Amino acid sequence: MNIDGRGTPTGTREAPTGTREAPTGTREAPGRTRGAPAGPELPVLAAEGLVKIYAGRRALDGFTLSVAAGEIVGLVGPNGAGKTTFAEVVAGLVRPEAGRVRVGGLDTVARPRAARALMGMCPQETALYPSATVAEHLRLFGALAGLRRAALRRAMDDITEQMDLNGVAGQPAGLLSGGQRKRTQAATALIAERPLLLLDEPTVGADPLTRAKLLAVVADRAKAGAAVVYATHYLPELAELRATVAVAQAGRIVARGTLAELSLERLHRLLTRSPVEDDEENRDDAHAA
Amino acid sequence: MTLTLPDAGLRVTTLARHNTMLMLREPGAVISRLVQPLVLITLMRPLYVAALARDGVQAGTSQVVTGMLVMFSLLALSVVGTGILTERSWRTWDRLRATPARAGELLAAKALPAFALLILLQAEVIAFGAGVFGLHIPDPALLVVAMTAWAFALLGIGTALGATLRSQSELNVAYDIGGLLFSALGGALIPAAELPGWARAIAPVSPGYWAMEALRSALRGQAGPTVRDAAVLVAVAAAAGTVAAWRMSRGLPRSRLL
Repeated sequence: MNIDGRGTPTGTREAPTGTREAPTGTREAPGRTRGAPAGPELPVLAAEGLVKIYAGRRALDGFTLSVAAGEIVGLVGPNGAGKTTFAEVVAGLVRPEAGRVRVGGLDTVARPRAARALMGMCPQETALYPSATVAEHLRLFGALAGLRRAALRRAMDDITEQMDLNGVAGQPAGLLSGGQRKRTQAATALIAERPLLLLDEPTVGADPLTRAKLLAVVADRAKAGAAVVYATHYLPELAELRATVAVAQAGRIVARGTLAELSLERLHRLLTRSPVEDDEENRDDAHAA
Repeated sequence: MTLTLPDAGLRVTTLARHNTMLMLREPGAVISRLVQPLVLITLMRPLYVAALARDGVQAGTSQVVTGMLVMFSLLALSVVGTGILTERSWRTWDRLRATPARAGELLAAKALPAFALLILLQAEVIAFGAGVFGLHIPDPALLVVAMTAWAFALLGIGTALGATLRSQSELNVAYDIGGLLFSALGGALIPAAELPGWARAIAPVSPGYWAMEALRSALRGQAGPTVRDAAVLVAVAAAAGTVAAWRMSRGLPRSRLL
């Protein structure tokens, strides 16, 4: 997926840059896409100093995170650490009190629509229309992402195949199993290839098949150059995705590195300690990160 | 090949088609609102004709047709509001907001099928009155003006309520009690002139009052009063629509159903 200087996606389903048919727009190197907006050395997602306050509580408190093209960042942290709020801020669903988010070089507050056109978002909770079929969901979200006619049909076919939804494409979402609903939701976020993917705990409660299918598609998209933010509680998924890990605590990132660099003991300590009692230590870790 | 941002018109068309499909998949409320006024017009017309005998048969027919039209189109607001509330309870509204679609586009796409339903309901009632009971329509164009203005007002009110209230029970209270109250105050059940003095004094507060006035004026072929009353309805629509757009652009409150 390429983006022009105005933030307009210029790589289409007809000419993707990844693992699908790629007649013209092949990747120059793993993790980099041709014509990336901010230059290959600059991140696709750059969030700086985000602050979001709900009823006096700081859901985000100086949240800073950047993700490069082709990189998968596993966002981990206890419930309430700010993972979902961060995704909502990046997607423009909530406005931060302070800080700035740039997607593909575009400020998400100044140019929200152009920025949203560069991302696919899969929210934590399943949000589908019970009476609409799987195919109708894919058609709707594909069309809203800008896919038309043959490109839309091909994208629907591809994602239906990749997410193993062929047998239920004509079924209303209200009649699907939990795993099928999860896969359908993920498919609506992944139907259009986008430079940035925001996946908020997409495998919570998912069966092994759903998890495997989703991880395969995410890895595929990252290979194609997408930057991926993958919020999860499951560290083995991040190992499988070869993701770097960013640990969120009390509304900010307190550690970042590979699983090997962070070590399981340190991760366990970061993910289980109280944000209040370890506040000072968090701040030290945040500076180090 | 270059992929440009999808055209706003295409997005609205896509979303409006989707919303129409959702409405037709759960047709119970729509069917109910379309059938009920026809039944009541048929059963209650003799009563109204007798009550307004001094003004002629047309007066009774006009009263029952316009009265049922206003009352059931107010009750049909539930279809508009429920369409918005379900987006909140399903959490799909935020998913749509995370797409490149503008808030105004999402709102327009919600409004279009509801507007079509409100026009259909009014056209059906008028056609039934004219075809079955000989309702005289001196100037159809005036009637179209009145019906369109009323549909806009209903749409604005329904959308504002749907965007503001948090649960289906709140919506039911607003639509059922509010609908009946506004209908009665507006003179839909009893001619406004026959209402108690205090009710006549506050009747103009009800949008139903202006709808009844606009429809009556249109059925009398009075262009000036029809346009004046329609203008009041359009103002109501604009005010309510502004509230709805402001509320929806900030994200809808989470439903209490969850």
